[in-house]
Amino acid sequence: MGRRRIVLVSGAVALAIAVAGGRPAAATQAPDVTLQRADGGRIHLSDYKGKVLLVDFWASWCTSCKTAFPALDGLYREYQPRGFEALAVNLDEERRSADAFLAAHPHHLNVLFDPKGASPAAFGVRGMPTSFLIDRAGTIRFTHVGYAGNVDATYRKEIAQLLGEP
Amino acid sequence: MTITFRCVCALVLGAATVTAVTGCATVQPWQRGRLADRCMIFDADASRVGYMTHWQEAREGSSGGYGVQSGGCGCK
Repeated sequence: MGRRRIVLVSGAVALAIAVAGGRPAAATQAPDVTLQRADGGRIHLSDYKGKVLLVDFWASWCTSCKTAFPALDGLYREYQPRGFEALAVNLDEERRSADAFLAAHPHHLNVLFDPKGASPAAFGVRGMPTSFLIDRAGTIRFTHVGYAGNVDATYRKEIAQLLGEP
Repeated sequence: MTITFRCVCALVLGAATVTAVTGCATVQPWQRGRLADRCMIFDADASRVGYMTHWQEAREGSSGGYGVQSGGCGCK
């Protein structure tokens, strides 16, 4: 009986460690991550509390991200006068890859950098690109994984809904 | 409790299992930049591969050797 218990405990420990190594669950409240600006300065996500915010995680090697980038830039330009903010968080390990893409694509989005990937881990990103729509209270209200090209109407509806809330 | 040889074996097996399981690394979606690199694609240049395949099929009479949707006549 004692030996069987030891084997069972060993198995349970192995299973627990395997499960703990999985991805973190997406939090409802947006994590207060720190992100790097192009000039080397740092911003905190909590700086944007009180605003409707889009956080998009992208990389220059991701084809769908490159398709989504100009579309999200257009949404930002459309809704920015109404208090909407958007952060495009680049996750390239090498900054020059991101810089080359950004130089070829004029944009208005606030581009930030996180080459270590701490912020997507905190958000529980499960695919590239992933964008989160966060309300004025700092709660993640809508999540988009991937980009199909026909979701702009959905974005508009969700942004308008959040902007209409107090 | 007397520690027997089987007890020790069970503990060693358990420890080995834990080590093996934790040795697996999950590549997160944002860490796939190197996997997405052009050099990781078998047929990165589709037009060049198409030309080379056509040339090889013509030279060796092996049309359809790489798989085609046809009746198996060998014509193209």
